[in-house]
Amino acid sequence: MKSNIQVDKDRVRPDGVSKVTGSLKYLTDLTFPNMLYGKILRSSHPHAKILSIQTEEAENLPGVEAVLTYKDVPGMNRFGMIIPDQPVLCEERARYVGDAVAAIAATSIEIAEKALKLIQVEYEVLPIIDTPEKALLSNAIKLHPAGNICHRSSYSNGNITAAFEACEAIVEETYELPRQLHGYMETEGGVVVPQEDGGIYVYAATQHGFKDRFQLSRILGMPETMIRIISSPIGGSFGGKDELNIQPYAALLALKTNCPVKIHNTRAESIRASLKRHPMKITAKTGTDSTGKILAHQVKIIADKGAYATLGPAVLDFAVEHAAGPYIIPNIETEGISVYTNNGVTGEFRGFGGNQITFALEGQLDRLANVLDMDPIALRRMNLRKATDLGPLGHRIAPTDSAALVLNEIQKLSESSDHQQTASKWKRFGSGIAIAMHGGGLGFGRLDSAGGRLSLNKEGKIEISFGFEECGQGLLSVIENLVIEEVGCSPQDIKIVIGDTSVVPVSGSSTASRGTSIVWQSLQKMKEPFKKKIVEHVSSVLSIPHENLYLGDNGIWEIGKDNGPCMTYKECAEGLQDGTVITSFHFPVTPDAVNGGHFLYSFGGVKVNVEVDILSGKVKVISINHVISAGPVVSPNGFRGQIEGGGVMSLGYTMMEEVKMLKSQYVTHNFDSYLMPNIVDVPFDTNVYAIEDLYEGDNYGPRGVGEIGTIAITPAIVKAIHDAIGCWVTKLPISSEEILEKVESRGMLPWI
Amino acid sequence: MDLNNEVLENPIATNIEPMIKLTFTVNEEQYEIQTSPTEKLIHILREQLNLAGTKISCGIGRCGACSVLLDGELVNACLVMAYQVNGKSITTIEGIGGVTFDEVQEAFLTEGGFQCGYCTSGMIIAVKYLLALNPTPTETDIKEALAGNLCRCTGYGGIIRSVQSLSAKNGGI
Ligand code: FES
Ligand code: FES
Repeated sequence: MKSNIQVDKDRVRPDGVSKVTGSLKYLTDLTFPNMLYGKILRSSHPHAKILSIQTEEAENLPGVEAVLTYKDVPGMNRFGMIIPDQPVLCEERARYVGDAVAAIAATSIEIAEKALKLIQVEYEVLPIIDTPEKALLSNAIKLHPAGNICHRSSYSNGNITAAFEACEAIVEETYELPRQLHGYMETEGGVVVPQEDGGIYVYAATQHGFKDRFQLSRILGMPETMIRIISSPIGGSFGGKDELNIQPYAALLALKTNCPVKIHNTRAESIRASLKRHPMKITAKTGTDSTGKILAHQVKIIADKGAYATLGPAVLDFAVEHAAGPYIIPNIETEGISVYTNNGVTGEFRGFGGNQITFALEGQLDRLANVLDMDPIALRRMNLRKATDLGPLGHRIAPTDSAALVLNEIQKLSESSDHQQTASKWKRFGSGIAIAMHGGGLGFGRLDSAGGRLSLNKEGKIEISFGFEECGQGLLSVIENLVIEEVGCSPQDIKIVIGDTSVVPVSGSSTASRGTSIVWQSLQKMKEPFKKKIVEHVSSVLSIPHENLYLGDNGIWEIGKDNGPCMTYKECAEGLQDGTVITSFHFPVTPDAVNGGHFLYSFGGVKVNVEVDILSGKVKVISINHVISAGPVVSPNGFRGQIEGGGVMSLGYTMMEEVKMLKSQYVTHNFDSYLMPNIVDVPFDTNVYAIEDLYEGDNYGPRGVGEIGTIAITPAIVKAIHDAIGCWVTKLPISSEEILEKVESRGMLPWI
Repeated sequence: MDLNNEVLENPIATNIEPMIKLTFTVNEEQYEIQTSPTEKLIHILREQLNLAGTKISCGIGRCGACSVLLDGELVNACLVMAYQVNGKSITTIEGIGGVTFDEVQEAFLTEGGFQCGYCTSGMIIAVKYLLALNPTPTETDIKEALAGNLCRCTGYGGIIRSVQSLSAKNGGI
């Protein structure tokens, strides 16, 4: 294994000090003179015709400065990253309880809240569609002009009918996955400040400033050049703040009142209006020959899209792509459908459909191993992709033997001695493993522009700039460590500029585990021309041969003279005409025309141990061991943190989290009824092992690890439960009731 | 409906409640403000005093993002009302550490006890409180003390290591 890129172990994140002292100003912490507070009135019904909206009473409340409805949207009254189908403010119809009907700006939050109650909306309630199945009935009311199907996606290869006939073992199962809350601790919010030229500054968290700018420009009927988006720092996102949320409302209100307008959702408002992870129902039928070779795999995915599209189509494509994961399956048929309902809107969420599909895939492998009475690792190994095999859609990918490397490490872990088990007659212990393959970047056929800028600025700092945002994932640390490594300077010499559309180059969004890859690749393209510019300047000024010069701490050094730089960066900046290098490129993509197919993949595996209390049905995860293969580790704390945090987020998904809806109304409004893991729920025994070697000849560098730690957890826990009590769980979150039922039905309690 | 009428009759909505004069100390600085007696401490800190280091996330006492010390006791500032802080002394994250960092802040920095940082102010206050009572907390002590503080980013690993390193420094295991 290669060593970490970060040599200095104690180097702390660039945003660290301001975070531990509380001095960092998040965008929801900002205030401006004359600032007003915005509130959004959302639909009382999940599905209704809007007959009239009366705003006079609200307008007349002292302290209220503006009340807006759809009539006040100057441009396109729609947003949505792929299909703009979501009204900014509803005209004649509301399709879910998060639909915005009116927006208010007032001098205080209290007044704005009171004013909300004074808006009279006359609704005609329409029948609701609360499941995708109901939406697909031929007589179902249409939620959108083109019907209730948001997106279909499929992939097939070989002949599954014939292949199933040849199978010796076949398992079939339906997996049900819940609606998960991103649960970022900072709810959506920010301030929009009108400018003298009629434009606006938008201080609000987003994962993609340029995309927000584009969408806002359409909504406001305002050129993009008049909109500046300041988008970092962010108090967590996990995919949840990639789509517009409060920005259009704050912007419309700010323009109307000519005052800065702040909106900061309460948690209840956030849960009502925010995106969620797609609930999916996945039916899989998988068959092998007598030795365990998988011959056929048939998968049907039905995803609950909620009311609007946002990134749903891409999420479904991703799930379809990953249906075979890291295995080579000769006959496969995957069909996915994403369906509009009156439920909460579902969209991008860490793992991007990979979590759901991997639960089904790994679940099938475990069941087959059971039926065949085979070791689950041996079964996986037999079917595992080899380094130069094609990707899961039959497309060319960057060669990688990571699947095997990960599985080998997982095998070692499962052979090593296990957690101490407390002796209790009522406790059962089990362990489970699972592996996963996860594509990075947006995939084939999608504009995935990347790039960056490196310059020696006038203050003598090496300024590195990207269009990304710091959502908490540690991107600043990644940038800093890579600049130190590739350029040779010290942390004090660097200035990082991100998250502000007025000053950063286009580098796409902070999403799809693409950030780290892009920083590294950009630096490979920029570092030599940048160093050359600087060295040539110094060489000509000081008459030192340029091959004797190199960039180091505080300035440019001459080989063999180690008592200080021969010219500081500051001095160099004063004389240098142009110290800027820019790169822009497309994220590496497969050469084969497969919709959404990825080229760079990361791999992960986990082994978990669980304890099942057969008296209470309670399951406790007692250890988690991650093995991650994503190239060299750029920032050790950040790497470990992303994997551990992602793992726990998935532990929550598996064990406890569900945003419940009843008749398309949220039952869950806050953290009293939506339980996310707290420190008591997580095993102190958690380890992360990194496989840092890249396949021979791979020059794509380190991959992002924002998602890979989340994918394999669920199937591993479910397998561990099976190991403990001999029953399969198919529906998340795992409930004690279900476990108890299984325990009872197996007669594991002596009195039953 | 009633509420609507009331609002109409008392058009200045914030005047429905009488205001009280509040005298209290935050981070050793004396404040005197006018506010409604049921105004939440979290809003007083964030909006009136511009001490935005204390965060708000759930607003109902379930996440600990707003943790502060009230006369040395750990409380959720979103559950404390103005009248309850009269004459009392509050410590927020801005009052932790001085010119140099506090050891808890130091440990969070080196062990990776934060990511987005939004839970961090509250978490550090809760850890301060724990260590004040018990300088060598064990695994069980850490769980008990931090069970009220949610972190969505770290999975708690970095936080656990931060506290364990401090416990070890103090002679614990
Ligand atoms: S905001 Fe106070 S406990 Fe969550
Ligand atoms: S660091 Fe983001 S919530 Fe804890």
